[in-house]
Amino acid sequence: MTILDDFRPYVPGLVLLGGGALLSVVVADAVPGVQPLVVAVAIGALVGNAVGTPASAEPGVDVDKLFLETGIVLLGAAVAVEEFLAAGPTVLGLVIAFVAGGILFAEVVARTLFRIGTPTSSLLAAGAGICGVSAVVAIGRVLDARGAAITFAAATILLFDAVTLVVFPLAGEWLGLSSRQFGVWAGVSMFSTGPVAAAGFAHSTEAGQWATVTKLARNALLGGVAVAYSLAYAARSAADPGVRRLWAEFPKFLLGFLLVAAVANSGLLSPAALASIGRISDALFTLAFVGLGLSIRIDDMRAVGAAPVGAVLVHLLVVSTVALAAVRALL
Amino acid sequence: MTDEDVDDASEGRAVDHADDVGGTRLARRWRALDRGWQALCLGLAIVFVHLVIYPV
Repeated sequence: MTILDDFRPYVPGLVLLGGGALLSVVVADAVPGVQPLVVAVAIGALVGNAVGTPASAEPGVDVDKLFLETGIVLLGAAVAVEEFLAAGPTVLGLVIAFVAGGILFAEVVARTLFRIGTPTSSLLAAGAGICGVSAVVAIGRVLDARGAAITFAAATILLFDAVTLVVFPLAGEWLGLSSRQFGVWAGVSMFSTGPVAAAGFAHSTEAGQWATVTKLARNALLGGVAVAYSLAYAARSAADPGVRRLWAEFPKFLLGFLLVAAVANSGLLSPAALASIGRISDALFTLAFVGLGLSIRIDDMRAVGAAPVGAVLVHLLVVSTVALAAVRALL
Repeated sequence: MTDEDVDDASEGRAVDHADDVGGTRLARRWRALDRGWQALCLGLAIVFVHLVIYPV
């Protein structure tokens, strides 16, 4: 057994992601004004829904999330730390306010307006309020939720990920938002990390950076929210709150992003190195977004019920409207 | 999305359909890592290579 043998199962899927990524670059070059990352998602979704992902390609395709997170780590090299530190307190304040307020609002809407019971209401609130599917499964584990409830809530969040991925960039263009305003707006309003980054980069490179950084700040709160839920459900939960839980849910790649940002901003990397790292980050994002598109399945979304869709829709409309007013006033 | 994939996402692990007990020692150690740590290691390795190839 050699390293090459270890790598072999991943080859078909990586070829599929690579082919989609190459095609997206070719199409984006041929059509003015079209971002390759948006084309990558579209190609993935088209292939996924037309022919599906071959079983032999699944191991390689499933590496897409690793590509996304590594791309985010490398994005640290493109971040001007001074600019982000200057806006940091405002953005951080917005993130904390919208995560806390958004989760409470989603719980109230789901339970009172749509009569959704616990823990499904909490799974939907966590998914919409923090970081999409990963929040649904993390909070589901804390609350000892059934696998079916987690899958149901995750499918609802994935449905909105697909819709917001298309709607937000169009809305940002129509509303005439600056790159920073759009990035932060998408970062506090949308759900999963991949679609937030894709929507940001669909607007502009700067918007993509702001969207990703804002979303990372939101993701970092997952541990705190898991502890809060654990305490709120203390009588029923078998999970242990505390520092261990905070650390377990903390997205470790965020540390890599901060380290790379520190190295790049300390002047240790030459302009040639920064340019090359930027190209690798772009390539990883393109590969990841083909995988993101492949995971969008129309058939799965048809199975989602009306009540959770209604609850999450009300949450999204209210949160994104308030967030829009906030970014316009503050940024 | 399957329940299995949901479980993998909750652990932050790379969803791995390869045989978990097979492979070289390096591959087994890599698969045992949380996906966030994998991304951190890969990202820092790429930056380190650039520090060496493109000195200031």
